[in-house]
Amino acid sequence: MTDVTSGPEVAPPARSVRQLGYQWTAGPAMPLLSLAVALLIGAVFIAASGRDPLRAYVALVSGAVGGATVQLAAYNTSETIVGAVPLVFTAISVAVAFRTGLFNIGAEGQLLVGALSAGAVGAAFGGLPGPVLMPLTLGAAALAGAAYGAIPGALKAWRGAHEVITTIMLNYVAIFLMHWLLQNGPMTAPSAAGTPASAKIGDGAILPVLLPSDLVPLSRLHAGTLIAIAALVGFWALMWRTSLGYELRSVGFSPRAAAQAGIDPKLRTVLVMAIAGGVAGIGGAVQIQGVLYRVFDGFSPGYGFDAIAVALLGKSSPVGIALAALLFGAFGHGGALMQSEAQVSAHIVSVIEALVLFLVAAELVARIVAGRRKARA
Amino acid sequence: MKRSIVLMVIGAILAAACGGAGGLGGGTAVSVGLVTDVGGLDDKSFNTLANKGLEDAKKDLGVSGKVIESKEQANYVPNLTQFAQQTTGLTIAVGFLMTNSTWKVAKQFPNAKFAIVDGAPANDQEKTENLPNVANLFFSEQEAGYLVGVIAGEMLKGKVGKAGSGNTACAMGGIPIPPVDKFIAGYQDALEKYGAKVLVGYSQSFTDQQKGKEIGLQHISQGCTVLFQVAGGSGLGYIQAAKEKNVYAIGVDADQAYVAPETVLTSALKRVDRAVYQTIKAVKENTFKSGDNFFNAANDGVGFGVLHKDVPAGAKSATETALADIKSGKIKPRTEVKK
Repeated sequence: MTDVTSGPEVAPPARSVRQLGYQWTAGPAMPLLSLAVALLIGAVFIAASGRDPLRAYVALVSGAVGGATVQLAAYNTSETIVGAVPLVFTAISVAVAFRTGLFNIGAEGQLLVGALSAGAVGAAFGGLPGPVLMPLTLGAAALAGAAYGAIPGALKAWRGAHEVITTIMLNYVAIFLMHWLLQNGPMTAPSAAGTPASAKIGDGAILPVLLPSDLVPLSRLHAGTLIAIAALVGFWALMWRTSLGYELRSVGFSPRAAAQAGIDPKLRTVLVMAIAGGVAGIGGAVQIQGVLYRVFDGFSPGYGFDAIAVALLGKSSPVGIALAALLFGAFGHGGALMQSEAQVSAHIVSVIEALVLFLVAAELVARIVAGRRKARA
Repeated sequence: MKRSIVLMVIGAILAAACGGAGGLGGGTAVSVGLVTDVGGLDDKSFNTLANKGLEDAKKDLGVSGKVIESKEQANYVPNLTQFAQQTTGLTIAVGFLMTNSTWKVAKQFPNAKFAIVDGAPANDQEKTENLPNVANLFFSEQEAGYLVGVIAGEMLKGKVGKAGSGNTACAMGGIPIPPVDKFIAGYQDALEKYGAKVLVGYSQSFTDQQKGKEIGLQHISQGCTVLFQVAGGSGLGYIQAAKEKNVYAIGVDADQAYVAPETVLTSALKRVDRAVYQTIKAVKENTFKSGDNFFNAANDGVGFGVLHKDVPAGAKSATETALADIKSGKIKPRTEVKK
């Protein structure tokens, strides 16, 4: 495997913010350093709250991938992967836009409309057999997500509205759409006593569990994991093995140069945001069809927001995203054991995640500042 | 390529360092695990109260206890599984959001004991399916509703303070489900004995404060001077309306006097802490009972909260008489809301 992250292989001298952003997307040293520093600062917080940081981190790791028995270790590892799956989709959504020079902060909203579409179709046509219903639900989610992503893309391309603002605002539209649909709206299931939720999806829409239950009891490692892997491969193939990917990366690298070369940045902007939205939408569908089987109001703890950290930590590369998503999945699942074994609030992992994002972003800012100084000199 | 090797090596080192360190301590002492719902430990409601019950049990009964806060819906099954594998005593699921998750995990671990606060195990068809290792902790909400209804009735009858000259009391539920309606039914029952009119509304939400406030303002405009909320977060808006219009409100589940000390007359208490405590005690004393366990006035499972300073001594003694009558079975508050 060649190093898939370094794009047009030779990085030119630093001139613009975009170029700097581009250069920054190479090399694993900084993310690892950021992670180490974040864990160190996290340890200080844990110690300050009167707990033992070492014991907490041992519990965190053993809760994520370890266990007293092989079976328990397999269970914990499978749960870490289950937690990583939605983040893979949303992080690809962020990364594909980032590679094109766009900040997609709207993965959360795109994930929600995808989940709602899959939930609606999966319940309304619940009687259909799997081979029909499965592509129908996933397709509906991809289309809804793509349409929802294309809106800020079009606003950017033809009206110049900044995608950061529009995607953030569209997140709220999606969140309140979900509240309305599920709390007392057309999707609210009558049987969901006190729990705002939609009706259960049909059996044909359920992504099967991959590990047999007598081998790993209660495992939820579902077939959506395979879809996530396919999405990562698809992301890589699209960006680095197709001419469209080359064009998209060219727009990200320098929109003016791309325009000179005859690439219409407007259409590419809409297209890439539609792709980003579609992938996030599938992520929402996979979480419903693989784990929850119905759409619960507020089911997402912020997969689309954590995705920004995952994409940045993974340097917007397929391998990096996979590893960063697994790390966040491990934080999520291992955090529970950390709380029960070391009495450290599970929220401390949110602090560590935020610190990782902060440090990765700080590095980007530092490089931009350094680049400006250099340009002036 | 390089990066993945680096990460793999680091991962391998960490795994080696921590492999088998999942030290899931055995021993004979009773250990208890508590899994909160997404509300978290500081919800000032069921989770907070359940944790208080666990803390009380740790102090009085010498059991050990651990807590996991669920960060998202998808965490319920793994968090319950974690405790099912390591606790010797009991795993407690807080809230009816976990009825299906508990069913799944309890079936898988038939030797572990479970308790669901305010719920019964529900199978994948959403049908209640009692299991021999799960205790369903239910409450006789109608008794608490009846008690606060007596207080409201006394205030109206005596035309005390903010009750003014009105003869109408109101109640707002979140969604008309049994645990909500039982509160309201008891309240209605008591107030009818005082000849008061009772208006009932639903906000159709346990979170929408604005909707709760709208219904509150509407109820007040219809002459209500006592407002009883049974709608969680949405009910806070209902109390807010009472505060703005200077009438009384009654809180629910936990003691809600802190929400608006001048406005809250009392609260209809659901003593989740007592239910949790008594269930842990039962496990310790080998008297654990699976299936429905009811917590009511007789076993201190429901009651009324701190009384507002406006409540006269006569009203207080009337409420205490009603409490004694409920305990003795002389009064059996009804459980269905009269529409």
